[in-house]
Amino acid sequence: MITLSSYLVISTILFLAGIVVMIARKNIVAILLGIELILNASALNFVAYTKFVNQNLDGHIFPLFIIIVAAAEAAVGLAIVIRFYQIRESIHIDDATQLQS
Amino acid sequence: MFGNILFLVSALFSVLGAVGVVATKNIMHACVYLLMSLIGVAGLYLTLGADFVAATQLVVYVGGVVILMVFAVMLTGGADSQKSNRFGIKKTPMMGSIGTYIAGGISAILASYIVIFRLLPKVFEAQPVNSTMAFDKTVEKIGMLLVSDHVLAFEISSVLLLGALVGAAVIARPKRN
Repeated sequence: MITLSSYLVISTILFLAGIVVMIARKNIVAILLGIELILNASALNFVAYTKFVNQNLDGHIFPLFIIIVAAAEAAVGLAIVIRFYQIRESIHIDDATQLQS
Repeated sequence: MFGNILFLVSALFSVLGAVGVVATKNIMHACVYLLMSLIGVAGLYLTLGADFVAATQLVVYVGGVVILMVFAVMLTGGADSQKSNRFGIKKTPMMGSIGTYIAGGISAILASYIVIFRLLPKVFEAQPVNSTMAFDKTVEKIGMLLVSDHVLAFEISSVLLLGALVGAAVIARPKRN
């Protein structure tokens, strides 16, 4: 039977995968992929708690705003990555040591 | 029955996609695994009765963000130039000594014991028995909520999107000499 715990376990796995990607990867685009995984885990928690605990639709509004913020963050982050690649010819995270070029 | 099958397939998709993002070497393959994971999460939303959120997830994430990621990978040299640095372990020396790893392992075991046997049962006790909500349309109610209760966040998000658009265009413009 599908309970709240199954969704929480899946969300935990997504969150842990995102954390591992953010910590262990050295590629800036891969770090952005990890951030997307973490945001998805939190949105999944919101919708799961909405169904199993209080059943009003405020928990469906929050994933919409999470998706909006994730889209804005991906656009700006990828612009920064492309600019960084133009300056340094690399997207390794250890090369990002200075704020100004 | 159909709900159970959909739940199992979606859970498998999302978990395998997340593990694939962690485990693969190629950054382009990581993007495709993220796509798989996001589609799985959209299926989980469908099993939870959130049809509008699932549609938004498919349209915005799968159609927008992942394509943007693929563009960024291609604009920064493609997948071939980034194949070798999966975790960067070869470049950095090993941190700590044997005792560090023993202490880390013991603390991980303790933390997982506390989480699994102490915290999780309280979470699972808290769920009500009657949890079957009828699958009705949520689009209408979400629209009403967006322009009544959450109208301030709605407007602020439009300003945020405008700022992100202008900021991305300003940051990524070519260098002026």
